[in-house]
Amino acid sequence: MPKPKKRFEIMTSKCRFVHLRIKGGTLTHMMKRLFSGIFTCVSTFLLCLLLSYSVQAQELPTDAAAITAGEALFNANCKTCHRVKTKLIGPALAGVETRVPSLGWIVNWVHNPAKVIGSGDDYANKIYAEYQKSQMTAFTSFKDEQILSIIAYVKAEAAKPDAAPVTAAAGGTGSGSSEPSAYLDAILVGMIIILILLVVILILIVSALRKFLDTKELSEEDKEIVNSPITFSSVTRSPGFIFLVIFIVSTVTFKSVIDGLYSIGVQKNYQPKQPIAFSHKIHAGQYEIECKYCHTGAAKGKQANIPSTNICMNCHSQIKAGTNTGEGEIAKIYAAVGFDPATSTYTGKTKPVEWVRIHNLPDLAYFNHSQHVNVAGVICQTCHGPIQEMDVVKQYNLLTMGWCIDCHRKTDVNTKGNAYYDKLVEIHNKKSFKVEENGGLECAKCHY
Amino acid sequence: MRTMQIKNILIATSFVVLLLGCTAHGDHTGREYAPNMYHSVAYEPLSQITDETAGRWVNSLDNGPTRGEYFNSNKYNPYRMNMREPAPHTVKRNQFGWLPYRSKKVAKDSIDFITTGMKNPLDSTAAVVAAGQVLYQSNCLHCHGVKGMGDGKVSDKFAGVANLKGDSYLGISEAHIFHVITYGAGLMGSHGSQVSPEDRWKIAKYVKVLQKQK
Repeated sequence: MPKPKKRFEIMTSKCRFVHLRIKGGTLTHMMKRLFSGIFTCVSTFLLCLLLSYSVQAQELPTDAAAITAGEALFNANCKTCHRVKTKLIGPALAGVETRVPSLGWIVNWVHNPAKVIGSGDDYANKIYAEYQKSQMTAFTSFKDEQILSIIAYVKAEAAKPDAAPVTAAAGGTGSGSSEPSAYLDAILVGMIIILILLVVILILIVSALRKFLDTKELSEEDKEIVNSPITFSSVTRSPGFIFLVIFIVSTVTFKSVIDGLYSIGVQKNYQPKQPIAFSHKIHAGQYEIECKYCHTGAAKGKQANIPSTNICMNCHSQIKAGTNTGEGEIAKIYAAVGFDPATSTYTGKTKPVEWVRIHNLPDLAYFNHSQHVNVAGVICQTCHGPIQEMDVVKQYNLLTMGWCIDCHRKTDVNTKGNAYYDKLVEIHNKKSFKVEENGGLECAKCHY
Repeated sequence: MRTMQIKNILIATSFVVLLLGCTAHGDHTGREYAPNMYHSVAYEPLSQITDETAGRWVNSLDNGPTRGEYFNSNKYNPYRMNMREPAPHTVKRNQFGWLPYRSKKVAKDSIDFITTGMKNPLDSTAAVVAAGQVLYQSNCLHCHGVKGMGDGKVSDKFAGVANLKGDSYLGISEAHIFHVITYGAGLMGSHGSQVSPEDRWKIAKYVKVLQKQK
């Protein structure tokens, strides 16, 4: 049974329907209570009239328009710290409308959490303590009905069943590169069929000719030739066959020798297994993380740099399972950086990760990343190939001197917005000029 | 005559097989021509060969019969690495003589308090904003998105990316942005090691421009 005292504190429109239960007491007392009850109702009613706008809004909107508006607001403002069903920086919001003391409480809280906490509100202080005294940002500019539409969205979203995990989403992307080879396969199969047909036709012709010759009168010699059986040794000893075999073997040998000689000192297609199965296809391809985010040296110095593990931890402090390999590979980062994923704390025990170097220029050649990336504006893929499609990185280009020179001959100097080149552009009649014309082929530019 | 032919063929094929072994593939680096030129005698950054006998067969150095020429490792450094961290308690100045940002990491609601009075040392020129945009694109875009709405590709997987155009972020100062890039905030990690102070101020300038765009 509710204590009558409570009535005076409940200042919602529902007050009107609270029954006045009175136990004993004098008539005056009863009258007093009755009057105050009526006063409460009347004042609430007046309040309703005065603030009809906001009090109407104290009930959660259920129309689709409000929920859509709430979704937009939630995504733009709340999603940073809150999710509907999972706990993030702030609590999961599902069921918040029934958890908190009242809807008005939520409105006050969103407008000014500090004030609600300061007022000594029990629930506010409990939440504040639970989240390590980190206070929610105040959203003073929100109107009451905006806040309620967000709650309406949260309620609608919480009622939805959990979406089935999407597993096949990433599967269908790799078909683009296989198309040309499928096309080639079709051509090959077609050609083989044509060849088989040709052989069949030839056999038919031979048998037809033989039948035709059988009907004629032939000399002994001719008969022998016509009737001589085709044996294995007769084929292998025929001059045509010997020529064909020698031609094929010598051509293949010659090609292999030349290719082999040219591949000495060239590490193209070197694709070593790395200590951590890091996939550029996922990071640079699927999630479009810029190369320079991790390879911080590319725009600044000679080396592009292998990122240190703290850069991994910018994302992997939260993302604890990988797309390809699950938790195993990410656990290697945690071991190196000294991170306990269960408690999300650092242990302080660190060790380096030994990567295998892929791109390795000989000591006699000087190469500087920043000159190419920052000054020339060359994109990484020009030299490193489609890194964003490689699960395991390989050396894509030759990295030979001829390959360097070729690019220096073809490429225009990037003079745009670079005062260093102003006079040179003028000398070249304001036309673009190649790297070659700017000393890009001088020996001492790279060999000194 | 016949044996001679077979011998010649054998020699030719073995030569081809040998040469095929020169091509790099998988874990095999391929053969090197004049390997002494590939292997630095001086300490090479981002490389480490700890085996002292490596490259003994081509050794041209006067370093004893058991040592090789490829050895490239500094045994006085931690983990015998060639690179080492700067000496403790030293600080880096940039080309303008700036000292590092010295404030500590603080709670989210104290950032505005400690960055009060801090000013962006860069002018709001078009060049600074353009440079800030390039830096934003390489360092921030994958989470915060092209328009700063917190809708970058990584935000699919990494929950809690701030919408820079959200109400609570529109009023933040450039110094606040600078502090957050340096130390991170909420779930965002510290980017102080990747983005230099000058670049951080440029990004802050650009973010303020971005926030005004529709």
